[in-house]
This record gives sequence, structure tokens and C-alpha cells, in this order.
Amino acid sequence: MGIEQLTHPIMLPVILPLLAGVLSLLIPNRASGLRSSLAILTAALVLALVWPLFQQANMVQDVLPWLSLRVDTLSSFILLAVAFFGLLIAIYSIAYMKGHARHREYFTYLLWTLGMSCAAVLANDLLLLLVCWGFLALTLYLMAGISGPDAADAARKSLMVIGGTDALMLLGIVIYWQLTGSTRMDGPAIALDGPLAYTAFLTLLAAAFAKAGAVPFHTWVPGFGEKVDAPVSAFLPASLDKLLGIYLLARCVLDLFVPTPMMYGLLMLLGAVTVISAVLMALVQHDLKRLLSYHAVSQVGYMILGIGTGTALGLAGGLFHMLNNTIYKSALFLCAGVIEKETGTTDLDRLGGLAKLMPVTFLTCTVAALSISGIPPLNGFASKWMIYQGIISSGEGAGPGWIVWLAVAMLGSALTLASFVKVLHATFLCKPSPEVQQLNIRESSVSMLAPMLVLATLCVAFGVFAFQLPLDRMIFPLVQADVPGVWWAGLATVLILVSIAIGILVYMLTMRSGNLRRVRTYIGGEQMQDVYISGENKDGPRNVEITGVDFYDTIEQLPGLKRFYVLTRARIFDIYEFTRRGFNYLVQILRSLHSGVLPTYLRWFVAGLLVVVWVVTETGS
Amino acid sequence: MKSSMVLVEFLLFPGLLFTAIAGLLTTWVDRKVTALVQMRVGPPLLQPFYDIRKLLIKETCVPEDGAVGLFLLAPLLGLAGVTLASMILWRTLLNVQATFVGDLIVLVYLLVMPALSVMLGSFASRNPLASLGGSREVKLMIAYELPLVLAILVPVIQANSIRLGDLLTAQAPIFSLSGALALLVCIACTQAKLTIVPFDMPEAETELSGGALIEYSGPPLAMFKLTRAMMLFTMPVLLVVLFFGGVVSGPGWLPAVTGFLLWFVLVAVTIVVRNTTPRVCIDQAVRFFWGPVSLVALVAVMLAWLGW
Repeated sequence: MGIEQLTHPIMLPVILPLLAGVLSLLIPNRASGLRSSLAILTAALVLALVWPLFQQANMVQDVLPWLSLRVDTLSSFILLAVAFFGLLIAIYSIAYMKGHARHREYFTYLLWTLGMSCAAVLANDLLLLLVCWGFLALTLYLMAGISGPDAADAARKSLMVIGGTDALMLLGIVIYWQLTGSTRMDGPAIALDGPLAYTAFLTLLAAAFAKAGAVPFHTWVPGFGEKVDAPVSAFLPASLDKLLGIYLLARCVLDLFVPTPMMYGLLMLLGAVTVISAVLMALVQHDLKRLLSYHAVSQVGYMILGIGTGTALGLAGGLFHMLNNTIYKSALFLCAGVIEKETGTTDLDRLGGLAKLMPVTFLTCTVAALSISGIPPLNGFASKWMIYQGIISSGEGAGPGWIVWLAVAMLGSALTLASFVKVLHATFLCKPSPEVQQLNIRESSVSMLAPMLVLATLCVAFGVFAFQLPLDRMIFPLVQADVPGVWWAGLATVLILVSIAIGILVYMLTMRSGNLRRVRTYIGGEQMQDVYISGENKDGPRNVEITGVDFYDTIEQLPGLKRFYVLTRARIFDIYEFTRRGFNYLVQILRSLHSGVLPTYLRWFVAGLLVVVWVVTETGS
Repeated sequence: MKSSMVLVEFLLFPGLLFTAIAGLLTTWVDRKVTALVQMRVGPPLLQPFYDIRKLLIKETCVPEDGAVGLFLLAPLLGLAGVTLASMILWRTLLNVQATFVGDLIVLVYLLVMPALSVMLGSFASRNPLASLGGSREVKLMIAYELPLVLAILVPVIQANSIRLGDLLTAQAPIFSLSGALALLVCIACTQAKLTIVPFDMPEAETELSGGALIEYSGPPLAMFKLTRAMMLFTMPVLLVVLFFGGVVSGPGWLPAVTGFLLWFVLVAVTIVVRNTTPRVCIDQAVRFFWGPVSLVALVAVMLAWLGW
């Protein structure tokens, strides 16, 4: 490999972080500041290098005979997003990881993940993609391990699920190679005209789903998000894995295969199931990070729904939603990280009252929460609106399925809102828990708040200027279709702001100084504190406090849903658990054969010998 | 379309001022009819305006531990949402060409904002009773949202369009079985969306003493009252547009008068229901909306799909 190949502009975003990762391993722990600076510098450099690639688009470069890279409208915009989130997380991690015992490994893995993700997006060869995919599964596992022994189980599970689908992907690639005679990805798309083609399509789909965390391969996400450090969750399941998984899905649907209507139907079914089942689980969670992880799963459903419509608008909406989701979901995880850093917990039962103590975090979290719930004019609404349009237009000439998908998607949106008002209540607005009251909580450092604020700003900007900024520059070139109608988000925003301004004016005119009186809250004439202390058991359940964590227990008790929750808690829908039990069963059978009784073993030997002899004599001649 | 014109439309007609006046007059109808049902005389025509003015000059009390910024901002969010929704609706009613693709979806989402403002406002109060009320508001929302969306899809399926303008000029869905069923579903959901009896459990005067709004007073309370009045006016208008499209559009005075009468009937139904039913529990409401109401909505959607 010559130096000119290595320094080709398309290679640099891959090579640089990998080298920087090695370099960061060599930096002693004393100079951890140097290491984090190196990480930020590299991430910024990658972003700068990716920008010209994004600008020019469409280039296939055979760097080496076996190393073919490609930039096109799809990969260039994903590449840009990957680099952007890499930089933001690197900045956030400085303060978060400061003084961490495994600082060195963290930043090394971060850089390697960044480089390998760039390689995965740029790969023009399915085998290269598979190699990157495998390497990313490894770094995901290693990064999760940094969070300590608690996360070991979650890390192992994610490695198993992603590794298992990697094996499926290898099968798919072999079949693809069999069908087309090449593993290059820029060839013509193949039609789904036989069981082989279907197998290849479905196996690649499985890999994409596992990466993005969609049903039925979603089960690694909740545990991972709960146990692993928040920046890692913001970096991997919330942003990079979504980008990569949906990237592979879009590649499969757009370039590699020509899906049949039935496959589109399957996609939409899985998307709808993902949306609703994950959000129902999110409703009843008690841990902030676990709740967010369920939403990370649920939101993938919208992307798959959008892509599954098979219409230009739906596809654009799905990809736009992917981008928006990475923005608000990482913002939410970063908020969770700040909260955990300050309070030492993400248990919603033990938080509360942080709105006053951490106003910037509260603001960011509220914007992101409203955005994920699809409140206009934020970005989540813009992409959901496009997905709904796509679903409706996919219904023309097809079965009545679209009505169900649309209703499910819109209900999912309402449930998401419900789940996030609970988060806002339990974390920021309700009375602080005794634990929080004892702590001296301050707002976090600037280097952690800055990435969050950037993301919150993007939530607003990508919603208000959806058609000017992201759609026009990144997504519409990709679908190459005339997208009808534009919802005038900019104008609507101005009008909403105007009416809020009028309201504030009314307040100012009517509330002359001294007119704003602070009073104790009225609870049937009781004093909250008095009731609290005079309770029979001070440390027992707080009878007047409402944390909001169990707001939706009534929903859980509904006849039909009760069964769903019981079964899900028993991990009936968990493919990992399923496979594990299956293997256990197999192992039991094998174990029972190893009885230690020699005559039995001897019989097996003789039987095996007979089979061998039979095979040799029958086929040898 | 000039931006200054839009601003005038938004502030005066058919936006804020118009919807506010119409909404307050609608609450007068509500109070008058209620009074008649209870054999009282009822308030004079301008009483709702006096009430709002009184609230505006009253002192504002804010809870000492609450998130005051959000507490004061929340009512304005809902007001903005309903104003924008009403403006989109009326622009289409006045000029069918003013519609745009997907405006119905925008409308549905904007009409969620009043509920959201109640949730945020109540949670910002840091009062257990308000929190309970707010949580009921949330649960009520997720309960009625499913059948409401399904029922709204019936006219969409029949007209094969998601633009309000097309729905308005299409054959009125009410003349089909599916349309009639969907209208029934929508009336039930409207009752809950307006949080009036039998679905007023977020406020539940008798158990939560005002619940979600317990800490509100003065101008912020006026904003909430105004928002609710405007919703009381706007929701029946939306139903008229959705289900009586072909009847109330067209030249001349006849469609306009018909439209007004239909609107009045829908308001009257809401008021009569409110005066003749007791409040239900929140779990009963969720079960009601996710059970029979959703079932009827599903049947309506199926029938609409089959062309009935």
C-alpha cells in the first residue's frame, strides 16, 4: 500500500482516527488532557475532511484492488452526520471521562469506532462492509465494558445479537456473490425472484435491524442504554448505530435489491410493531436511561415505516427522521449523562426538582423531548409529517394496511409525548427527592453543556428550516423526486412566536410589579412538608409526593395490555433469550449423552464407524 | 401571499381575535343552555368577556417552589396552538385554494398543543393535585388519540386526499354509514379533548379541586380559559369541515347557514352530554376509548375502505 493511496482524500477519514487511536494508546495516563485534545482534534479534522466529500458526492475510488470506496448522495450525508456526532461526543467526553481509570481505552475505542464507521459507510464492497461491521461490534462491546462490571451482561448480549446477525449477513453476502458474481455494491440491483434472493435480502435486513435496534433484534438496546455510560449510549445506540443500520437498510432497498411489494409490506409491519411495542414498554420504565433506550428502539420504527412505504416522500421522511432522531436522542442521552454525573443516579424515583438547579439541562431536555414527541414546529414533527404523507401515498392501489400503519404511527407519537412528560415531571418538575435535596447540585461544565445546546439548536433549526437546510441539501438529492407540498414551518413558527410575545405583553401589562405573588401550593389546605414529616414512617413510602414514575400504571393494568407487559417482562419476545434457551436445550441433550458409561460410548463409536464405512463405500466407487 | 397579510389574518381574522370572540360567545351558549337545563336564567351575553377581563386585572399567584418560567409560558403554548389551528381551518373554509398538502396532519398536531400546555403547566406547579390532574390529561390524550385519528381517516379515505380543501369540496362523508359512525366517534373524542364532563377528570373539582389548574390565577388562568373557549368553538368547526364537507361549501348563503346550524347542533350535543352525565374514572375512560370507541372507529374505517 503506497503512501499516495493512504493519503487519498477518501481514505483519510478512515486512516486518521485509526492512527490517532493507536497514538492515544501510547499517551500515558498522566497526560490525559493531551489525549482528549488529540481526540477532539482528530474528530474535527475528520469533519473537515468529510465536508469536501459531501460537497462533491458521487465518486468510486478503487484505492487498492481489494479496497473499493465510494461516495454518493446517500453515503456522503451519512458520513457527514457520523463525523459530526463523533466530534460532539468527543467534546462532551472530556469532562465526563475526566479522571476515569480507563480514560486511555475510552478515547482509543472512540476514535477507532469513528474511523471504522467512516469505513463502513464508504465501503463499496459488501465484504469490506462486513469486516467494518464486525470490528464495530467489537468496539461497541469494549466501550460498554468500560462502564464497569454492571454493564458486562448488557455488553455480552449486544455482542451476541449483533455478532449473530453478522453471521447471517455473511450468509447473505455469499448468496449475493453467487447471484451477481461480485460483492461490489455499485452494480445493478437484483430482483427478488427466488428463495435465494429473498434469503440474501432478509439476512442483510437482519443485520441492519440489529444495528439500528429494530424489532425483533432490538433486545440488546434497553439493557445497553441502562447500564452503559451515557456518552457511549449517545454515541452508539443513539446516533452511530442508527445511522449505520438505516444506511444499510436504505442501501438494500435502494441499490442492492429491488424489493417486492410484499417485502415493503413486511418492512412496514415490522416498523409499526417496533414503534408501538417499544413505546409501550418505555411508558412504564423507572430508569431514565432505560426509558430513553426504549424510545431509541421505538423511533427506528418510524424510519423503517418511512423507508418501507417505497415512495420518494416516505423514503425522504425516513432518512430525515433518522437524522433528526440522532440529534434529539443523543441530546437526551447527554442530558441523562449530566444528570447522572451530578446526582449519581438515573432512577426516576430518586430525582426531581432539577429544573431550578440545572436550568440549561432542563431547557435542552424539554426541547429534545418535545421534538421526539413530534410537536410542531420542531424537527421531529417535520420528518414525521413526511412519513405520514408517505404512508398515505403508499396506500394508493394497495391494500388497507396503510390505515393501520398510520394510526399506529400517530398513536405511537401520542404515547411518546406521554412518556416524555413523565420524564420531565419526574426529573425536573416534581418535588426533589430527599437524596437530591442533600446533594449540592450545580449546572454542569460548559464543555458538556455546549454539545447539548448545539443539538437542541439543531432540533429547532431542522424543524423550522426543514426544507431549506437538511432536506434540500442532504435528502432530496438522494430521492430525486418532486416532493409535493411544503408545510410552512417557518411561517408557523413566526406566528407561534408572535402569539407568545403577545401573551407575554399581556402578562407585562397586567402584572405590574408586586402583582406576582409567590404562594405555597394548595393541597386541600394541608402543608406538604408537614404531612411529609408527620407521616407514620419517615423513610417509608411518601404518601403526598408524586414523582410521576407510576403515572401509567393504569395503562399497564388494562385487560389487553396487561398480558403484553407480563409476556414482555418474561422476555417472551426477546430473540436473544429465545436463542439462548434453544441452545441450552441442545446442550442438555448433548450433556445427557455424555453419561460416562463406557459401553454406551463404545456403541456410539461402532455406530459412527458403520456410518463412515457406509459413506465411503457408497460414494467412493 | 404577503407576510403582513398573514400577520393580520393571524392576529385579527380568522386568527386570534376572531377565534377568541367566537370562542367566548360559544361558552356563553354553553352556560345559557346549561342554565336552561337547570331552570336558571343564565348569564348575559357579554359575561364571558367580563370574566376574562376580571381575571386579567387580578393578581397573579405563582407557586413558590414551581418552575415559574414554564408555569407562565405553558398557557401561551396552548393558545398559540389553537389560534394557528383555527386560522388554518378558517383560511380553507373561506378560500378552498388556501389548503396545502398534509394540512390535516398539521391541524391534528396543533390541536394537541392545548392539552400539552395543561400538562406542562400543571407539572410546573409542583403540586401533587396538579400533577395528578396533569397525568390524567396525558392518559386521556393517549386514550382518545387512537379512535380520533382513525375516525378522521374516514373522510380522508373517502375523498382520497389529505388536504382540507379537498375534504371540504368532496361529497359529505356523513351520507355514508362509515361517515356517520366516524362522526359519532369524533363527538365522543371531542368531549374528551375539551375535557368536559364526563371526561373532566384532569380538573375534577370535587376530588382534585381544580387539579391541573389548581395553582393558576389571574392572567395565566385567563389564557387557559380563553384557550378552552377557543377549542370549544374550533373542534365542532373541524367536525363540520370533515364530515359535512360537500354540504357547507359552495357559493351563496345557504351552505353558510347550513354550516352554522350544523355547528350549533354539534355544540348543543356537547353541552347536553355535559349536563346529563356524571364524571367517569380515568381508567374507565381509557378502557372506553381503547375499547368500544376504537372498535367502532375501526369498523368505520373498514366500511370506508369498502366504499360504504
